[in-house]
Amino acid sequence: MHIVKQLMAIPGVIAAGEYAYRGDRFSYLGALTDEFARMASILCRANTLSVNMQSEIFDSFAENCGCRPVQGWIARGANVTVCAVGNYFAFIENREELLNDVMTIMRAKVGDIGDDLLVNLYAKLGGDTKEALY
Amino acid sequence: MNLEKMMELPGAMAAFTYNDRGEMQSHVLREGTELTPQVLDLLTRSCVANLAIAGMEARGWEALTGQVGFQPLQGFSVVGLEWSVVVNGNCGVIVKNRDADYEAAFNALKTA
Repeated sequence: MHIVKQLMAIPGVIAAGEYAYRGDRFSYLGALTDEFARMASILCRANTLSVNMQSEIFDSFAENCGCRPVQGWIARGANVTVCAVGNYFAFIENREELLNDVMTIMRAKVGDIGDDLLVNLYAKLGGDTKEALY
Repeated sequence: MNLEKMMELPGAMAAFTYNDRGEMQSHVLREGTELTPQVLDLLTRSCVANLAIAGMEARGWEALTGQVGFQPLQGFSVVGLEWSVVVNGNCGVIVKNRDADYEAAFNALKTA
């Protein structure tokens, strides 16, 4: 089953989606409008680029310290949590054990994000992977 | 702030506190970990930055969409290849991914 559909089958998952690193494509299911999903994709893309940049700096201080490549991030709100793994995201309610379940499924289904995350993700779109991405 | 208590979280490798400028104030490292105080000091600066950005995004998202439940921010986590750092306020903990209990970590930081 597709990751997004699988996530949406879990009670408490509000919305889930997949976005492209270029920010020009996204797909989603759940309680978002097209415009909100577009905004969510841009937000996730920006945060993912940011934490990847940070991990490269950590790596320059302590090579192979276990941080790089970044697999994802979590923003914990008062009642809603946003999780991103690779180029997938999920908006979930803050229910007991839901965050751990969602992260386990996302990590298992998306798999380990490789060293060249951006190029790999861009390649999924069929684009020129040698083109400068950022 | 009881860092020793934070170190009781599943898979905890390090716990630390930092000030609002991101300067590390105190830390505990589990023996044998490859993490160094230097990496932690850099990490605490990124924690402050990430919390500020996520807070701005939560506020902006609620204002733009009318959806609620994102504010106040209860923490932020970066999931690395082998470990994750979970932070909130002026405290953070690093946990091994294979043992990570993100909810327990966020809850511990909320009450810390």
